[in-house]
Amino acid sequence: MTELQASIFGALTGSLFALMAVGLSMLWGFLKIINLAHFAMILLGGYLTVDLASRLGMSPVATILITAPLMFLIGALVQAGFDRFGVSELNSLLISYGLLIVTVQIVTNVWTADFQRMSPDINPLSLQSVAIGPFVFPMPTLLAAGFGTVLVFGAHLVLERTYAGRALQAFGQDRQIASAFGIDHRTLGLVLAGTAGASAAIAGMLFAVGEPLTPDSPFEWIGRVFAIVILGGIGNVTGTLYAGVLVGAISGLVSVLWSPSAAPLAVFSLVVLALVFRPNGLFPRKAGH
Amino acid sequence: MLRVTDLDVFYGEAQALRGVSMSIDRGEVVSVVGSNGAGKSTLVNAIMGILQARSGTIDLDGVELTRLAGHRTCAAGVAIVPEGRRLFPYLSVKDNLDLGAFNKDARDHRAETVDRVHALFPRLAERGVQMAGSLSGGEQQMLAIGRALMARPRLLLMDEPSLGLAPVIVDEVFDVIESVRGSGVSVLLVEQNVQRALDVSDRAYLLTEGRIAMEGDAGSMARDPEIRRAVLGV
Amino acid sequence: MRKRSWVAPTAVALGLVATPVLWEITRFPVFYLVFVSGILFWAAQATSWNILSGYSGYFSFGQGAFFGVGVYTMAVLFGRHGWNWLFVVLLGGVAAMLLAAGIGAIAFRLRSLRGEIFALLTLAVPFILAAVVRLVDVIDGGQGIVVPVPAFPEAVAPFQRFYFVISAVVALLALTAAYLMQNNRYGWALFAVRDDEDVAEGLGVPTFFHKMIAIGINGLIGGMSGAVVALNLGFVSVEGTFNLRVPLFVIVMSVLGGRNHWAGPLVGAVYIHTLQNRLADAGFDGWSLIVLGTVLVLLMILAPDGLMSRFSRRPWQVSAAFVLVLAGLAMFGTWGEPVDWLAAALAAAAIVAFLPGRGVSPAQRGVSSVGLGESRAFGEAMKTRGENWTPEPVVTATDVAKSFGGVDALRGVSITVHEGELVGLVGPNGSGKTTLVNLLSGALRPTSGSIRLAGAEIVRLPPHQIAHLGIARTYQIPRPFSSLTVRDNIAVAIMFGREPKSLAESRAEAEEFLMLVGLTDLADVRPEQVNLHERQLLEMARAMATRPSLLLLDEALAGLNPVEIDNAVAVVRRIHGSGVSIVLVEHLLRVVIQLATRVIVLDQGRQLAEGTADVVLRDPAVVTAYMGKESHAPGD
Repeated sequence: MTELQASIFGALTGSLFALMAVGLSMLWGFLKIINLAHFAMILLGGYLTVDLASRLGMSPVATILITAPLMFLIGALVQAGFDRFGVSELNSLLISYGLLIVTVQIVTNVWTADFQRMSPDINPLSLQSVAIGPFVFPMPTLLAAGFGTVLVFGAHLVLERTYAGRALQAFGQDRQIASAFGIDHRTLGLVLAGTAGASAAIAGMLFAVGEPLTPDSPFEWIGRVFAIVILGGIGNVTGTLYAGVLVGAISGLVSVLWSPSAAPLAVFSLVVLALVFRPNGLFPRKAGH
Repeated sequence: MLRVTDLDVFYGEAQALRGVSMSIDRGEVVSVVGSNGAGKSTLVNAIMGILQARSGTIDLDGVELTRLAGHRTCAAGVAIVPEGRRLFPYLSVKDNLDLGAFNKDARDHRAETVDRVHALFPRLAERGVQMAGSLSGGEQQMLAIGRALMARPRLLLMDEPSLGLAPVIVDEVFDVIESVRGSGVSVLLVEQNVQRALDVSDRAYLLTEGRIAMEGDAGSMARDPEIRRAVLGV
Repeated sequence: MRKRSWVAPTAVALGLVATPVLWEITRFPVFYLVFVSGILFWAAQATSWNILSGYSGYFSFGQGAFFGVGVYTMAVLFGRHGWNWLFVVLLGGVAAMLLAAGIGAIAFRLRSLRGEIFALLTLAVPFILAAVVRLVDVIDGGQGIVVPVPAFPEAVAPFQRFYFVISAVVALLALTAAYLMQNNRYGWALFAVRDDEDVAEGLGVPTFFHKMIAIGINGLIGGMSGAVVALNLGFVSVEGTFNLRVPLFVIVMSVLGGRNHWAGPLVGAVYIHTLQNRLADAGFDGWSLIVLGTVLVLLMILAPDGLMSRFSRRPWQVSAAFVLVLAGLAMFGTWGEPVDWLAAALAAAAIVAFLPGRGVSPAQRGVSSVGLGESRAFGEAMKTRGENWTPEPVVTATDVAKSFGGVDALRGVSITVHEGELVGLVGPNGSGKTTLVNLLSGALRPTSGSIRLAGAEIVRLPPHQIAHLGIARTYQIPRPFSSLTVRDNIAVAIMFGREPKSLAESRAEAEEFLMLVGLTDLADVRPEQVNLHERQLLEMARAMATRPSLLLLDEALAGLNPVEIDNAVAVVRRIHGSGVSIVLVEHLLRVVIQLATRVIVLDQGRQLAEGTADVVLRDPAVVTAYMGKESHAPGD
């Protein structure tokens, strides 16, 4: 694969990671909760997609009609728990870590530690590919890129163009005063966490369509997703998308130029540099025109 | 209309208000003056529901605000112009105004309220899409007042509106207070600038170390040397 | 951090007992050696983790990195190249320590780095390391490495006995380090950092240095322990080394056992290893992580302080439960094996410990009365002042300005504070008073201007050095170290003063400051149990314990009732009388009038007036600043 193809491929995959990152970033930015259980929901979403498609013969993409509402509920439930117990930012990290471990183990017990993959007759997309110019892209990658970009942009539009979205932004910018004007943090928090959960279900489906899943998959995702959250700016939706694409492109490039194992090192170095020079992310919002 | 009875408010351990009682009638402008740390902002925040009182009651036309959850106070008819403005900095002028009308009642009449606010603050109409954080100090104060008016309150709480503003702008702010009073909205004005506050008010209270030390009509209080002694200690 | 007088001698006694016990254990059947070796391994890992994360509060998910460095050092240097295994154990520790130093040098220097981001960074480090190890053929290259059994002396044959001995040595090293640190200045610096790093820095604690020590020890022991384990593994692979087991287990063990206590991680290791062992034995291997994860979640919500702190509240009941169940099952002998009895006894002890029950006894209240007599030490501080005594300047700020983003909080203020002065710093809201205090104490750096203390420029110095040079401050909302007693709060300031002192000396010296502010009765109580006024007095005592030449009191009287205000004024007078210069930022102008020798008025970031209180407060410009332009003539 040439450097260019690798970069573009990486950028496309990057928007899937951006989708994973956006839910986490918004929870962290608006609700001050760092929710590692988000990865548990992505994992569960993926496994349920495989299960439902294999058992009920559903088209893999259609499984989100079931998994998304389910994860919405679970996400809201977890948030309700955090709210009820008044959990601090650092403790939310620890507690959600515990939830993640429990989920990974349950998944291992139920589905075994083997790679899970849908066979091509259930998942015809895995065999398809599209040629664009001199490049050939597998269908699952394009699907992931499409969903990822559309959903993240959708989140951006909701935040910017709808009244409720702007209320959420206000809440993130000054919680106390937003509340003084009637913007209720509890309901907003539940809706936000539920939506993040639904996005996790969709991300899980996209993974299941393109890659084999194992119970340990979340631990491969965590590093890159948090890099995207930090580089994009915590709570910054469009920044997250740009950061996702950037990180993806860099990973792809480094994989070809050096080795796939070197990509995490490159991304990590970028994060450390960003923390030193641009702690608010690479794409900060300015209070100007 | 507003009746505060025997209010005790604490910041953690520190008692900021001790047995405060006061009232505001419909259409009145009432000032609360006193030195810093006396508890003026605490009183405003307690009425708005940002702080919970430990004991005492706050009653607005028969609705007991002290029993309401913080975010429901706005719907009951109170809006705040916070100390330091506290606009939503990364949202536009238009958005800040629209969000002031979040509660249901105000939302239904949003279009007509926006017109009225624009009439009161023509500069805000011009700067609709500009981000609130980039406005000048005076424009921010106008926007903060406009945002509160969007909530169609019966009682407007203004916390130190003249803070950090040039004298010319302060004039404009107090002109706005006059017109608000003219529209039938009651105003509770907390101000460090005692003279200006008394000029524009009907009645006033002097708050010292968490207690009401003096009350009366604004004119006679303005002439009373006791006020200066309370604020400056000499 | 309550220091009960019986804990230390008991711990020493236990140590003396432990050594022959451990020696006896070496004669046990191999099964038990393996079991105890497992506990010793985890005790070493968890204790080293706790020295950083538990003591200092800088949460690390990266224990796997230090462990992995140790494992691979042994695998490559001994396994592949046959170096001397003992030497390699030390090398493994040193290599991990260097990695730790690297992480610390970057992470601890970033002022913007919050605890959560530090945690996430450490989450990433093991993955990066795993990738590098897999990548570089010289190290692993994805193939794994075989580690042969080392040569060991006949006296400790078979291998499990030998392995038990070296595991015990490493574990003892870890426990000794943790025990010593809990009772000396290194540990106490970390406790102060955990409770409030900014305040600690302002009292003279060199926080960066101590955090580096903590992470260094964490790395050293984690690496040594990893190197030792490699000898037992036989075959080392990337997946087997850099997985989540080590990071997760050390966290759960320390949280369960208690992060405040040197023995907490050891206790946690005993519990979790026993649990693991029994689950595996009963065939529930697949459940162990579920149980562990659930335990972590429940602990964090319900009992984040852990077993040791619960134990210290009812030590007799917990010990009795443990001993009774263990002895009972041993005597009956019919059910299970010794490890089962241990598991049951541990469970019983835990249940008794975690039972909801009486909290710690409430503080003895009393209105602290000043007038407890002058303390001797302050008599010495009073200089004999001759007739022609001219006070020297203590601190001189020249043209200091500070902007935050676009806002000018201070626009070129010049003030000098002389020996023996009590300067009242007043002004309306937003005038810049607190900003000025922050600049003088070194918490903020001025945008321009200079600040000289006894002639030397202090603008670029870190706050702890400024504290050593003689400037101390209090905070408007008191910020005591919440896990230390009132006395120990003051002792920390003394320990890290200009001349370092031991814990015992510092505790003794704290008496005079307790007497100075009238807190002697409440000395052994935690700050959360005293009221606001008492906490403000603690702020003052703690600041005074650094023996400053200049004390900055930032709204030290906020929120007090009239009786408390009078008491506080008396205390400030006593402090002033001891020879310390004071800058008093205060809204209560009647207090300023009582106390100040000179008053400076700030307004909108500029100096407005200066002079004696009654003159300044009648100055028309000042009156206007406070009250607004007069449209009516005042009464007088």
